[in-house]
Amino acid sequence: MLRSILKRVGYMLIVVWVVSVMAFVLMRCAPGDPTATMLPDTATEEQRAALTAELGLDQPYIIQYLRYMKGLLMGDLGHSTQYNQPCATIIAQRLPATLCVSLISAVIVLFISIPVGVISGVTRGSMTDFAMMFLVVILQSMAVVWVCVLLLLVFVVKLDWLPSMGYYGLAKPQYLIMPVIAMGYRMCAQVARMGRSSMIDVLNEDYITCAYARGLSKWEVYSKYALKNSLIPVITIYGLQVAAMLAGAVIIEQIFTIPGIGTMLVSAVNNRDYPMVQSSLIVTAAMFSLVNLVVDIAITFIDPRIKEV
Amino acid sequence: MQGKIMLRRILRSKQFMMGLLLVLVLCFIAVFADQLAPHDPNEYHPDARLQAPEWFERGREGYILGTDSTGRDILSRMIIGAKSSMKVALLSTFLSLALGTVLGIIAGFRGGILDIIIMRATEVSMAVPTMTLGVVIMAIFGTSIVNLLIVMVISFWMNFARVARNEVMSIRNREFVQASRALGATSAHIMFTQILPNVTTSLIICTSNCFGSVILVESTLSYLYLGVQLPTASWGNMIAAGKDFLAIAPWTVIVPGIALMIAVMGFNFLGDGLRDVLDPKQTR
Repeated sequence: MLRSILKRVGYMLIVVWVVSVMAFVLMRCAPGDPTATMLPDTATEEQRAALTAELGLDQPYIIQYLRYMKGLLMGDLGHSTQYNQPCATIIAQRLPATLCVSLISAVIVLFISIPVGVISGVTRGSMTDFAMMFLVVILQSMAVVWVCVLLLLVFVVKLDWLPSMGYYGLAKPQYLIMPVIAMGYRMCAQVARMGRSSMIDVLNEDYITCAYARGLSKWEVYSKYALKNSLIPVITIYGLQVAAMLAGAVIIEQIFTIPGIGTMLVSAVNNRDYPMVQSSLIVTAAMFSLVNLVVDIAITFIDPRIKEV
Repeated sequence: MQGKIMLRRILRSKQFMMGLLLVLVLCFIAVFADQLAPHDPNEYHPDARLQAPEWFERGREGYILGTDSTGRDILSRMIIGAKSSMKVALLSTFLSLALGTVLGIIAGFRGGILDIIIMRATEVSMAVPTMTLGVVIMAIFGTSIVNLLIVMVISFWMNFARVARNEVMSIRNREFVQASRALGATSAHIMFTQILPNVTTSLIICTSNCFGSVILVESTLSYLYLGVQLPTASWGNMIAAGKDFLAIAPWTVIVPGIALMIAVMGFNFLGDGLRDVLDPKQTR
């Protein structure tokens, strides 16, 4: 057990390291001079050269890389050229907003999608199942930008119930409603679908037939035998989706102007703040891998049949 | 006999028929986009800005789905949008399919260190979210079709690689593979002429689903004007352009959104339908 967990942690570190190398290479290939945005247009050649030297950009790539790696190992993600602050500080400021919206969304999704999936699965072929799965297909086919804009159209323009943008944390939850819906609707559909098919798979197993043969009622079979086993693949998908959500909320944050990691990335890219772009790539990859790792480990504890991860 | 069973399954699967129909219509529109568009999609009509669709009171004849904020015909732009989306989807999906399948088969068949390396590579691709990668590459290196394809392939190849690898692992020790080897076949021959035909079912299903996902990603990137290059219409950039006129001209965003939904739904139905048809034992 411990060995397989250690192996997983090792793999995760490799993944994050590869992403960091990729980020480094990408930023070095990027066109444009990073000092251009830091200095006023009137800056002289000498000032520019001095800044380049100060940032270490005149060194050979290998020295730059070693410095960068040394910094990373010591928790230093670099220095943002746009804010003139350490990247880690800015990420720490931006992270709570992203976490807040995605975690609320993740919890709500859990409470909606699993019951929908389970009910759909056990009533396979019924009207309820058909209606729910029809809705799921519709939700899965809607583009996220379109959903955001439709939410704005309905709740802001037509009904005038919600504020259109902004973020004030949990203090003003009305600002969170639309981002949470936009973040969760697709995931909800995917998890519900997975829940349904996994329930159907489990109900076809021999031990379910056996349980019926022993005279257990339908609901006893569902709750005692089918539910737990059917949830295992669902948790895997759910974990993957939460991980992706934490890392990939660029567009939703942009539309609803939430000061999270996504908006930070867009502004860093627009301002050619390469250290910031580099560190947001690394941080998102690390978050994604970490959540995945936690889910994988959790699954091994829940499902004793999985020995080797 | 085989064909007959297949045909019966095809006719019985409503999802497949529905998906096939939608996808064929979409392909038709995409291929004949230039002929089908009633107006020039990029032509400005300053006197006809934000016209409502024809059946509305304020509608203007000749502009069936209305016009956008610069007076361009929405129907024509929607039709051209189908072409842009399909072009990106087709190229990205097949490049991802090719790369993912080759690497997946190698990983599954060879195993060992190659398998470990390729599987870690899939994890790396998964760890960088598509939108993050898209924003970084497209904004810094420029919005060209090549960069867009790079983003898409990096984001989607691993789905195919994982599917191919798992399938290959389950059949690589079967008798026909051993027989080939005993007859002196090279690894490459076994991988691509013996094993590949046996993993196509899952890959076909995966391909259909990938189309839908690529269309969605493309629309999101285009919304940020980082996808299909302006002024070419794409459903994503149509939504972005209409967003500012949401209150007075909601059709400018509703129309491209519906087009997007129908396209993605078509591919999703087709994928599920193909699964019913090709692999009826599996429920998902």
